[in-house]
Amino acid sequence: MRFLALGKAPVVILVATLASALYLSIHPVNESPANLHMWTFAKSHYDAYIDGIPAFEAAHPGVKVDVQLVSGVAVTSRLRAAFWSDLDVPDLVEVEISSAGSFFRGPMRDIGFSDLTNWLDQSGWGDRLVRSRFAPYTSRGRIFGIPHDVHPVMLAYRRDIFEQEGIDLSKVETWDEFVEIGRRMTRDLDGDGVPDRYMIELEDNGAGNMEMFLFQRDGGYFDKSGNLVMDSETALETLKWYVPLVAGPKKIANSLAGGQIFTQALESGYFLSIIAPDWRSRTTEMDVPRVSGKMALMPLPAVRTGGRRTSTWGGTMLGITKHCKNPELAREYAVHIYCDAKNLAKRFPSINIIPPLKEAWALPEFNDPRPYWSGQPLGKLYADLAEQTPSQYTSPFIGLAKAKLGEAVVACVLYYNRNGERGFDEFARRTLKSCADDVRKMMKRDPFQQSDAEHPGGRQ
Amino acid sequence: MSAATSGWFWKRQQKWAPYYFVAPFIILFLTFGVYPLLHSIWLAFHITSGPKSAVFVGLENFRFLLSDPDFYKAVRNTAVFACFSVFLQLPLSLGLALLLNARWVKGRNVFRFAFFTPHLVGQVFVAVLFSVIFIPKYGLLNVSLHRLLGVGLETKWLGNPQLVMPALVITSLWMYVGFNMIYFLAALQAVDNQLYEAAQVDGANRFQQFLHVTMPGIRQVTVFVVMMSTIGSFQLFELPYVMLNGSGPDKAGLTIVMYLYDTGFNTGDLGYASAIGWTLALIVLTISLAQLKITKTLKPGG
Repeated sequence: MRFLALGKAPVVILVATLASALYLSIHPVNESPANLHMWTFAKSHYDAYIDGIPAFEAAHPGVKVDVQLVSGVAVTSRLRAAFWSDLDVPDLVEVEISSAGSFFRGPMRDIGFSDLTNWLDQSGWGDRLVRSRFAPYTSRGRIFGIPHDVHPVMLAYRRDIFEQEGIDLSKVETWDEFVEIGRRMTRDLDGDGVPDRYMIELEDNGAGNMEMFLFQRDGGYFDKSGNLVMDSETALETLKWYVPLVAGPKKIANSLAGGQIFTQALESGYFLSIIAPDWRSRTTEMDVPRVSGKMALMPLPAVRTGGRRTSTWGGTMLGITKHCKNPELAREYAVHIYCDAKNLAKRFPSINIIPPLKEAWALPEFNDPRPYWSGQPLGKLYADLAEQTPSQYTSPFIGLAKAKLGEAVVACVLYYNRNGERGFDEFARRTLKSCADDVRKMMKRDPFQQSDAEHPGGRQ
Repeated sequence: MSAATSGWFWKRQQKWAPYYFVAPFIILFLTFGVYPLLHSIWLAFHITSGPKSAVFVGLENFRFLLSDPDFYKAVRNTAVFACFSVFLQLPLSLGLALLLNARWVKGRNVFRFAFFTPHLVGQVFVAVLFSVIFIPKYGLLNVSLHRLLGVGLETKWLGNPQLVMPALVITSLWMYVGFNMIYFLAALQAVDNQLYEAAQVDGANRFQQFLHVTMPGIRQVTVFVVMMSTIGSFQLFELPYVMLNGSGPDKAGLTIVMYLYDTGFNTGDLGYASAIGWTLALIVLTISLAQLKITKTLKPGG
């Protein structure tokens, strides 16, 4: 080896590298044998889908389904990276409603999800599911996601404490009546100058709860055509109504945090009621078991007598990606997990989520009385409201719009805490307009949305 | 010289060997360092929707940046945090280092370890820990304030935009005061004792010794720590992101890097994100040069 100036080591490294490369090129990393790959971010969904795989595989010989549980934040970032790089894209994926809009940015050809509009129309599934729930997953008139849920909203309250006070909250029909009772029930019980009981849990530092009231009033961030409407008169009226609930000396609402803090607050009667979309009824059952039998549900009070008694909060869509090699099989699997009434009914007691498939609501599982909720038939209560659930339209700028509405809420809360009603109307109008203008500025500089708007190629 | 070591092949190996050795690094550096950097310059002049669609807009991204209220908010938040890091955190670190360098302090090593430990657990853990401490009504801080002073039980440290920055500063103090203390401690121990003895002979009191012996002695390390703290502050991301679950109420915890991330990876506008990135680089470069200039002029005889 005298002819090797650097000894044997570099040659060994070189040979090992070449041998490894050769081996890997002959034997590539084993790909999963599955024909369908799906990502979900919710453990309860994952468990249900895993249970359903054997039946689907039995009905489709030779088909293997692989469902992966990916964390909520990761599913968005991983999916975006997968779409951008065209690598490791799943066939089906569940996306949370607040991030769904961001996947519709850019020209229509760049959207990573398959357009399901024609299939939904032709197969009839579009009519069998609650129509309003397609709105958040629609861009430029085309539908890119199947709704997993309806998420109607009710009011969950401490029935025992209201009964002790001689109040039958279920008879309350409007928010005005609710607020009037709230002023009496919000109290400093130990005389230390700090209230120990609030009528309802609502946040004063973001738009999370405020948007739910906005939807109830048929408002929203965007209209059906994708125009920004977050500073409409409806939005302004909602903001002016909402802020005094969470700010100022007469506030009846407060917020703390989630997890154990929420558990303690509800157990101790710090919060007498909470906004409860169907999914939250389940998390409340799990997180606050000690108030079992003391809680009850009622439809949301209406803005005016005879008005809508619900709203919507949260959601998930199932999208089929354009990378899917067998879209027909993917659609069949989507129908299997989202549109099988019996499976949905079987799943309901463990998740409390009302599916958009209307025919499922009549099944017995939805009518079972629930001891936790003072024997009320939880499924029926939510299902009765499901058809009233308002539409929430989306846009690629939904994240920014939510953040800006949150800024408006915070600014108004700070103003109201300092100045009360003096000049509040004008301040609220100005702030909301300014926040909406920030979103408009960002929308205006988006060349993709504009060019597609000129040649939409979709229906409105 | 034998025939084997004087031949053509042997000479070739000797000539090219260094290149082969550095080749892996060069290839990786070009692929993952230089190319993205150059590509981000290209991106900064485009509005994009992911990497697949880009429209050339010239300087529009930079022009828009100058009128973007969120960018200004991010710059303001980051600058305020950086100021607290330099003008509050570092003096505290130095004070602590002076204290724990004094021979009369018993158990100095235990204290040094205790003050340094918060840095070992990482920003995410610290953020989670303090988000629990700051909870209103039941959080450790509010309950303590209420019991000691009778106030503050409902204070929303992370829910009130005016309190978000103080909460971040308190958290970063806990995490970084001990870390920077170690730098100062090392620098203090390197100052020659004979200088103090000479100063004493000349009649200098404790403060004069600190001013004329200690400070010049630790000057190099101080410049380094100030610069690293400033750069670190301008790269702030994980701490507010985890503590506030985003940018917090009224974006009071929005930092430049967080805004960059959000624009690039949530909105999908890699072009605008690149413009933000290059502007951040320019800001950091300017501040660093200014610091170097200032510290040079402060040099004795400079």
